[in-house]
Amino acid sequence: MSYKPELTGRWWLKHGHFKRYMLREATVIPLVFLLCSLLAGVFSLQDVERFSQWQAYMAHPLVIIGHTVALGAALYHAATFFVLFPRVMPIRIANYTLPARLMVAGQWAAVLAVALLCLWLVTGGRV
Amino acid sequence: MTQPRTCYVDISRYDPERGDQYPTMQRVQVPYDDSTSVLDVLQYVKEQVDSSLSYRWSCRMAICGSCGVMVNGIPKLGCKDFVRDYVAHKGVGRDHAANDAPALTIEPLAHFTGERDLVVNMDEFLTHLEAVKPYIIDPASRPNNPSAATHSQTPAQLARYQQFANCINCGLCYAACPQFGLNPEFVGPAAIALAHRYNLDSRDHGKHERMQVLNTHDGVWSCTFVGFCSDVCPKGVDPAAAVNQGKVESAKSMLIQLFKGSSIGDSRS
Amino acid sequence: MQQHEYDVVVVGGGGAGLRAAIAAAQASDGNSRIALLSKVYPMRSHTVAAEGGAAAVTRDDDSLQAHFEDTVAGGDWLAEQGVVDYFVKHAHRELVQMEHWGCPWSRQPNGNVQVRRFGGMKTERTWFAADKTGFHMLHTLYQTALQFDAITRFDEYFVLDIGVAEDGDEREVTGVLALDIKTGALHCIRAGAVIMATGGAGRVFKFNTNGGIVTGDGMAIAYRNGVPLRDMEFVQYHPTGLPGSGILITEASRGEGGVLVNKDGYRYLQDYELGPETPLGKPQNKYMELGPRDKLSQAFWHEQQRGRTGKHGTSDVVYLDLRHLGKAFLEERLPFICELAKAYVNVDPVHEPIPIRPAVHYTMGGILTDAQCETPIQGLFAAGECASVGLHGANRLGSNSLTELLVFGRLAGEQAWQRANARRNTPAKSDDMTAKTQYWQQRISAMQQNPKHAAVSSWPQLKQDLVATMERGCGIYRDEAGLQQSLNDIHELKVAYQRMHVADSSRGYNTDLLQAIELGFSLDVAEATCLAALERRESRGAHQRLETEYQQRNDEQFLKHSLVRWRDEQPATLEWQRVDTTLSAPKVRAYGEQGNAQASTPNRTQGGKV
Repeated sequence: MSYKPELTGRWWLKHGHFKRYMLREATVIPLVFLLCSLLAGVFSLQDVERFSQWQAYMAHPLVIIGHTVALGAALYHAATFFVLFPRVMPIRIANYTLPARLMVAGQWAAVLAVALLCLWLVTGGRV
Repeated sequence: MTQPRTCYVDISRYDPERGDQYPTMQRVQVPYDDSTSVLDVLQYVKEQVDSSLSYRWSCRMAICGSCGVMVNGIPKLGCKDFVRDYVAHKGVGRDHAANDAPALTIEPLAHFTGERDLVVNMDEFLTHLEAVKPYIIDPASRPNNPSAATHSQTPAQLARYQQFANCINCGLCYAACPQFGLNPEFVGPAAIALAHRYNLDSRDHGKHERMQVLNTHDGVWSCTFVGFCSDVCPKGVDPAAAVNQGKVESAKSMLIQLFKGSSIGDSRS
Repeated sequence: MQQHEYDVVVVGGGGAGLRAAIAAAQASDGNSRIALLSKVYPMRSHTVAAEGGAAAVTRDDDSLQAHFEDTVAGGDWLAEQGVVDYFVKHAHRELVQMEHWGCPWSRQPNGNVQVRRFGGMKTERTWFAADKTGFHMLHTLYQTALQFDAITRFDEYFVLDIGVAEDGDEREVTGVLALDIKTGALHCIRAGAVIMATGGAGRVFKFNTNGGIVTGDGMAIAYRNGVPLRDMEFVQYHPTGLPGSGILITEASRGEGGVLVNKDGYRYLQDYELGPETPLGKPQNKYMELGPRDKLSQAFWHEQQRGRTGKHGTSDVVYLDLRHLGKAFLEERLPFICELAKAYVNVDPVHEPIPIRPAVHYTMGGILTDAQCETPIQGLFAAGECASVGLHGANRLGSNSLTELLVFGRLAGEQAWQRANARRNTPAKSDDMTAKTQYWQQRISAMQQNPKHAAVSSWPQLKQDLVATMERGCGIYRDEAGLQQSLNDIHELKVAYQRMHVADSSRGYNTDLLQAIELGFSLDVAEATCLAALERRESRGAHQRLETEYQQRNDEQFLKHSLVRWRDEQPATLEWQRVDTTLSAPKVRAYGEQGNAQASTPNRTQGGKV
């Protein structure tokens, strides 16, 4: 004498919050693509010809688009993750709880630092 | 006095005794002003239009947790959700009734078994609540010991759990949680928040017992941090935070048990 | 019909009911079967809406005697003094017990429990959990009760009646008749003792702070079974309800330093024997805003008569100003008040005064019990707002009732278990349960089958008429003509009620039927309230008469409890019962400067026994 509503596979289309959640989860797809590309690069180090093939692959416009999407996906995921972080691991020092905004800012500062370090490595310290 | 404004509302109706298999929508024209809540709309319908409409309500001040419903697909407390916010959204002029598209669609809380109209089976939620042992567990305490003094608990110790103690058991977070919709065995946001509330209480010694429940697949690990539960919480409890803090605790307790060599779930140490 | 056997049945899952169930389970060492019936899930009970706090003597500079005197004077000497004495002595241990069960009491920096000021209390003695004390107490009790295997919950069971066995003059309770809301089925639950813990009847009035469930069910059930309702004329108006909805704004707002002003920004309470004005941000116990609720609500009425109230929508209002307390303090001590004011009157208390007006809040009277919470029907107990154990007299002091739930909930639970245990091995007596079941089956089908033509009313109409006439004739100030009119209206409504039609004929979750039955209960309670108010021709506490000759307290004639008895299909009757004033003889009840002057003169008739 009752009914149990069934959740169909399309539940996440019901509203914006679920769509954004699925987008966050979907960021894994371009990131897998990027990871495969990098792995291929590692294997191509075995001989010169394969390495130049890999370089040509990496320069292909579609691949560049794919990797740009991956960068965007990584930043989007980071943005969502950073906001969640203070809620999952609140930092308390004595009676004082570190404000969430400060923790989010701190994480972005760390991203910036890592990005700068990479840039420095890539350019061989010329920057 | 100006003429009262009116709008149309769709209300989900379901009465198995009339042979209904699934809910159907009833469209009603209702008056409203700036203070009319969704609960007021339901009261109007019950007292003026159709007295057979069934829904739960009591305090009408957002503390008893009875009147949870879906309004336009979002879990809301009927008494703390106002018609003005929906007609304004539609950008329609003063008399919304001119356009008979419903401004609001009111349905029972999602993911629960529907019993009648807007009434759902809340036992499904309370069973989970009871499973996490939401009470002070203190082997040293003796029942009815009036002479004993209070525990010392500083405002900082209180602040650690206070937010999670504000849950009114309205069930909106379960209606927001797709994982609960997909797997009704998932302990769910409010129950885990309550477990976390007691785990964080400086007077409690029962964390180990509660972690037995939270460590399982149907415990914290069913959660994929959709986070909608916290968005819809009318009391700012942030159950998603509790669940995911619970994951950290769960990971810790699992690691500890791994090193101790006992299997997860049956340790009594 | 389903039959069940239990030792103790508790009717009502609010603070008193839960505390009683736990006490009975503990008293029996778990060797008992306790049924806890509630028409809503226990955490929905109206205890949840209590905000301010629970009183118990706590500080070193406080005394049991002072709490006793505040309560007796607050009740205008109509409290049962032996009961008050017991109450103040057991208050603290109950709050400590709640602390052990996990209640998140607000704390001082050193980790001790914090206490706040409350109206009519001489010293700070009100324990609180921010401004959601009732909510936290109720959830703590509900969650604690989950541990007891002896307690079986019957959530969403609506109790219609009690079974009574008569043996000469002796009358004993034998159980309850309940309707399972989910299925519509009737259940007969037999027990050696029954505890009524069904709360008040504020919904008998139009403008009130109460939840929709507060319809006086338990009072009416006991009343119809021959238990008198005592002191029903004393209905507390809380001075600060939100206009329109009646939503409660806690007295703690004033305890923490909030002030009341009229439309001119003037702190009008100084004109009503509550002054002199206390400096802003320096509240003083028993002065101005910390006077008792009856005096403050009456002051509003006078301001309204003088045209010094403002307007919010169609409501006359005065204003509760909290702005000087500052945002941080309000967020710590009064977060719920801020939330409510923003949501329901669109006012941020940090920046604007809150418009407020008095609203019916609490029924001081209720089911007559002795000092052990037992009614004249043996084995039938009552505790909490539905009971008149005699704690509040003519006016309840804020924060005494949350403690009352605990002190008398526990006492009722323990006493009920003792009674049930003694009756365990006695043969079952023949009772009227079968007859009552038949009565209710007929009554319900009659309501559903009454012809539905225009002349026959529906419950929403009758309810509107009831609450309107109560508001008109039985408000803050009353007179003979108004009360007589209301009483006549109620008699007419009771006749119309018999012919009322309930459209919904289904069984499961038939809230149409439930509200109709609740209205029947409310009508009986309203009749008792009106009759007692009519017959009390004096002014005392929350009961104020407008006639010149009745404007004063009249101890010679009315230092008595009213007892109203129900009669089937006839008007109720009233008699008087003596009051226990052996510990403190009546004197003038004064607050502010006059109260202070009076406090220096000793008044106790019998030394410091408290």
